[in-house]
Amino acid sequence: MTTATANAVTAKAGWRTRLADNERLLWPLMLAPAILYIVLLVGFPFLLSLFYSVSDVTVGSRSMNFVGLENFHRVVASNTFWIALKNTLIFTIVSQFFVLVFANILAMALSADFRGKWLVRLLILLPWVAPISLGAIGWLWIYDSIYSVINWTGQALRILGPNDWPIWLGQPNLAMASIIVVQIWRIVPLATVILLAGLTSIPQDIHDAAAVDGAGFWRRTLQITFPLLLPITLVAVLFGIVFTFTDMIVVFLLTRGGPYDQTQVLATWAFFTGIQGGDLAGGAAVSLFLFPVLVAVAIVFLLLARRSEVT
Amino acid sequence: MESQKPHRRLSRRDAIKTATAAGIAASIGPFFHVTPARAAKTLKILQWSHFVPGYDRWFNNTYTKEWGKKNDTEVIVDNINLALLESRAAAEVSAQKGHDLFMFLMPPSVFEDQVVPMNEVYAECEKVNGKAIDLGIKSSYNPKTKRYFAFSDSYVPDPVNYRTDLWGDIGMKPDTWDDIRVGGKKIKDKTRIPVGIGLSAEIDTGVAMRAIMYSFGAHEQDEAGNLTVNSKNTLEALRFVKGLFEDCMTPEVLAWDASSNNRQMLAGRSSLVLNAISVTRTGENQKMAIHEKIAVAKAAKGPVRRMGLEHVMDCYVIWKFAENIPGAQKFLVDYIANFKEAFLASEFYNFPCFPQTVPDLKQLISNDKKAVPPDKYAVLEDVLDWATNIGYPGYSTAPISDTYQTWLLNTAFAEAATGAETPEDALKKLDTKMKAIWAKWKERGMI
Repeated sequence: MTTATANAVTAKAGWRTRLADNERLLWPLMLAPAILYIVLLVGFPFLLSLFYSVSDVTVGSRSMNFVGLENFHRVVASNTFWIALKNTLIFTIVSQFFVLVFANILAMALSADFRGKWLVRLLILLPWVAPISLGAIGWLWIYDSIYSVINWTGQALRILGPNDWPIWLGQPNLAMASIIVVQIWRIVPLATVILLAGLTSIPQDIHDAAAVDGAGFWRRTLQITFPLLLPITLVAVLFGIVFTFTDMIVVFLLTRGGPYDQTQVLATWAFFTGIQGGDLAGGAAVSLFLFPVLVAVAIVFLLLARRSEVT
Repeated sequence: MESQKPHRRLSRRDAIKTATAAGIAASIGPFFHVTPARAAKTLKILQWSHFVPGYDRWFNNTYTKEWGKKNDTEVIVDNINLALLESRAAAEVSAQKGHDLFMFLMPPSVFEDQVVPMNEVYAECEKVNGKAIDLGIKSSYNPKTKRYFAFSDSYVPDPVNYRTDLWGDIGMKPDTWDDIRVGGKKIKDKTRIPVGIGLSAEIDTGVAMRAIMYSFGAHEQDEAGNLTVNSKNTLEALRFVKGLFEDCMTPEVLAWDASSNNRQMLAGRSSLVLNAISVTRTGENQKMAIHEKIAVAKAAKGPVRRMGLEHVMDCYVIWKFAENIPGAQKFLVDYIANFKEAFLASEFYNFPCFPQTVPDLKQLISNDKKAVPPDKYAVLEDVLDWATNIGYPGYSTAPISDTYQTWLLNTAFAEAATGAETPEDALKKLDTKMKAIWAKWKERGMI
């Protein structure tokens, strides 16, 4: 290597090192993509929907007039709104309760060593990485009124009588249960991965010390693992709540809000009103009802997570 | 002696660089394509994936290619699922960019501000092909602005499809709504095979409930567009559907999508459905023996009249921001002049809005090669006497479209049918919701 080349390499390395050590320059540089992403794909549409919700804009108009809170009054006056709000809360709370239970069980099982662990992890992650539309179409067939796999299996195993044929997506309670099951199936992998990361971060020494002191499985789980996992569990639940509260895909693909609005959630109703019905302003007003609820939930959960941190 | 090049092992850095380069190439590659000889112009069309696949093959691979050659235009056709048409249209309007011709399956009245009026296209077509049918006009014209906001080339009849063996066994034919309720109950009691008329949030239900309403003399609006849903006739229609559901159907109709009635009929699990001829065509094309047992009948007669709807209404629009407006207009005019080919390619699914384009329609549908018997579809020859537009007796306006697309009637009928609400309360709720919709579109100057 000639001296000139060596100097050039050193200069290049020096430039990198200087950048890596310059915190004033580095943090904005590293944060810039995330901020840009949030501003363009979250901030701008959010401001746009705020703007739309106080206007009379439709899908077919470019001009709009300010109408104040009229769209919100109209939304609140509709009984579909209250049904959708109730359904959204049931859909979110019930599904996240089960997500929490299943994700804890799975994370604990996957933190143990056994043969084929990588395969089990892959299978558990699949519902999260596969496109939801594909998964939901699979579920559509599982729940199909004519070809339901569940009913067929139930009859083959004589759990269901020859004339029993539950209509999973056509009876209000069954339809709600069906969409909740799909949402659990969809969110459990993410929660499992988050909790698994939390579990692996707990030092083994603590478990060993507790074992030496005579603590059994349940005491170790309830008095060591769960308290140490609490901050990250709250983050997993927060993600689950936000994803479920704002999700319309499962409901749209499986029931489209039916039977007679009994599975209608705010996100699907906003879509039907704003895009299908052409009332963009009304749709924006419906979707904005989600925002204060989610902000409140996020603040509460993040505060709880901070308080429960073990330092 | 040949010098040997020293082998350099692939470092991890090289592997990452290669993989990154390959990833970037694979991601952006599809955006760079080389077309050897481009036509002078381009015409981009978006329409649904037709229920009769042969139609798409003809339209995409034969007709548009030939038209493109004659007009020195590269025609690009995109087909999407029918449920995605409205959201795609909203996205194109929002971006002010998209296709030159966009086809909806119901009157797109809410997009009137964004489209090129079709008055000239209608006038041009009528010069050569005679007058358009009233059903087409009512589905594409706004009497307030005196503008055609769309162009209807065709409509799809929505007859009754019924099992001849099951109805033959009880010695009845489903000619009236009363026949359907009485005969449907007899068949269900005897064979456990129900009637299959949807009561869910999908288009076939929307069409079926309006067919019942109109034949009972009930309407969403009057001829001038005033809201008239709160009537004795609507209440009668709600009571009738409640009885029909209790006597003849099962809760599965509450969960249906637009193709469920096809599947139920072809699986042998229904005695009667309301649908286009896609039911029997699917059976014929897939050589399912059951198609021979399915007959087609006129829309059922109610206490006031015999009236059904069109199953779907083709409505083309040309966006104001389209890049090839003259090309799109010419395409439509030429398409109508050649509509007989489209009628044949759709296997009689799409009926012409300009009847003179298929002068031998009656003979063609009376002797179909695939149908058993060959005159199965002859019953459709007077379809215009018993088919009408959404919004009858008025026009398909913005509030009519809003009501249809947000499934308000579907929900009200399902609530009444299942007993979740009394017919009276279901009607009261429906009236309140529809009043709000009418007021909203009135404020926005659309009616």
